[in-house]
Amino acid sequence: MHSGRTWHDRHFGYLFVLPATLMLVAVLVFPAFITLKASVTPEGGGGWHFTLTHYVNAFRDPVLAQAFKNTFSFVAWSMAGHFALGLALALALNQALPGQTFFRLIALVPWTIPDVVAGIIFRWVLNPIHGALNPLIQMVIPSFPAEFQWLSSPTLAFPSVIFANIWRGYPLVMVMLLAGLMAIPRHLYEAAAVDGAGKLRQFWHITLPGLSTIILIALALDMVWEFRRFALVVAMTGGGPGTLTEVLSTLVYKTYFQFFTFEYASAMAIMMSVVLFILSLPYIILVGRKQ
Amino acid sequence: MKFSLGSSVRNERRTDAIVSYGLLILSVIFALFPIAWMLSTSLKSEAEALSLPIRWIPKQFTLQAYGDMWTLKPFATYFWNSIVVSGVTAILSTVVGALAGYGFSRFQFRGRTSLLAFFLATQMISGVLVIGPYFQILAALDLYNTLTGLIIAYVTICLPFAAWMSKGYFDSIPKEMDEAGLVDGASRLQIFVRIICPIAVPGTVSTLLFAFLLAWQDLLWALCLVSIDERRTVTLGVAFLVGEFVIQWPMLTAASLIGSLPTILLYLFLQRYYVEGLAGGAVKG
Repeated sequence: MHSGRTWHDRHFGYLFVLPATLMLVAVLVFPAFITLKASVTPEGGGGWHFTLTHYVNAFRDPVLAQAFKNTFSFVAWSMAGHFALGLALALALNQALPGQTFFRLIALVPWTIPDVVAGIIFRWVLNPIHGALNPLIQMVIPSFPAEFQWLSSPTLAFPSVIFANIWRGYPLVMVMLLAGLMAIPRHLYEAAAVDGAGKLRQFWHITLPGLSTIILIALALDMVWEFRRFALVVAMTGGGPGTLTEVLSTLVYKTYFQFFTFEYASAMAIMMSVVLFILSLPYIILVGRKQ
Repeated sequence: MKFSLGSSVRNERRTDAIVSYGLLILSVIFALFPIAWMLSTSLKSEAEALSLPIRWIPKQFTLQAYGDMWTLKPFATYFWNSIVVSGVTAILSTVVGALAGYGFSRFQFRGRTSLLAFFLATQMISGVLVIGPYFQILAALDLYNTLTGLIIAYVTICLPFAAWMSKGYFDSIPKEMDEAGLVDGASRLQIFVRIICPIAVPGTVSTLLFAFLLAWQDLLWALCLVSIDERRTVTLGVAFLVGEFVIQWPMLTAASLIGSLPTILLYLFLQRYYVEGLAGGAVKG
């Protein structure tokens, strides 16, 4: 009787996880397999014909190479910017100065804005004629060219997009690091101060080790998000000028929904996902080991 | 000696405070300047927004743009769509996620660990990897251009987070509560609904928030799954304003600000829960 109950009971768990599992399979896993299959199917051809043409073409495609390069630098610079700004502000906010709550709320604001809107804001701020940035720079450097074209410049368009993304995304890293800082016991610092350790040594030997886990998590999450960032680029430049600010997600979207080359777009999407998976492996292993 | 040590510590404190305040004041300017510029534009007339030299503060304040967005463009419809989609997404993903979270928390079934890993792994899937086939499935089911198609997608995307969060919360509720229910002859589902859920309500705030915001802010799925004006969300509506041949900046900035208002307010009031969820969920890993 008793063992019968536990047998039933154990299997009851499946019922609870079933709805979520079914949805994940139907909406994410099954379509992912369709994409995988499409990526090895001849263009326009159904059935089970197999080809690697799309992957061969993809490796030779300069636009895809550009999108990969852009995505890597977008992710790397965004992470660096988010981390530098986030850490500096988290350290400043952790001093528990008067007005701390006010400053924390203000610093959070860019993060509360949908990334479409963030893209629009910077498109307008950087507008060569009516935007706010050129006049602002001219107030400091009078010789700065009027009507400077930030977003149509081949060299500065992409850095501008990255800058906008740093503005949009630093608050999340900041709040996570701040939560980590607050969890470090004060008495560690007091003990170190009594032992004569200076600020820098305290930072190096107490703050950084205490933050290491949360830094890793924040950067890993940030990486996955920035790798897939879509709306900000769409709203700010649409990938242009030309394909200079194209990232992987915008390129796959266009190839599928605007050029209708489904099989080729699928191959690109698979390559993108494989790279993202490899990049996030260290994090996955770390989380797995903790379990 | 002791005295001088004390004063040097105090000096150091003061330098720290000055540096911190300097940094924080700069951060306020950095964070708010682009938004202030947007606000200023939204309060100008079309002519003034394009007049040169630019005016930092409107000479003639007008709420014209804030009226135009409702009359010239169907933003009332967009808003209604966003509210329905985000609200239903929040509730459904929290409920389905809580069921899964309870299953993971209370039952040691076969394949439990692998299934948990599977849930987490689906979070790595990019939207663009699956959206094409999902679009075709919706079209085949006559769900293209419906809010239902959008809601199903958003709920699913939120499920790993929702399940993970609620699992953490259920883990913190003693198992004795369940066992007491079993002794009283209640079924597992009754225990879940009548005993555990009422206790777990505070734990759902971060999931509700996460799901609501995700659905409200998304562009990719709305862009691919909706092509008619009556089904557009606010975010999609705003994105389409940028695509117009002549951008009406005051209206675009006004619509952007109003469209961001719900997320700004929700984040600012509830960010504590959100961050705790994100950091906690990840740390507990």
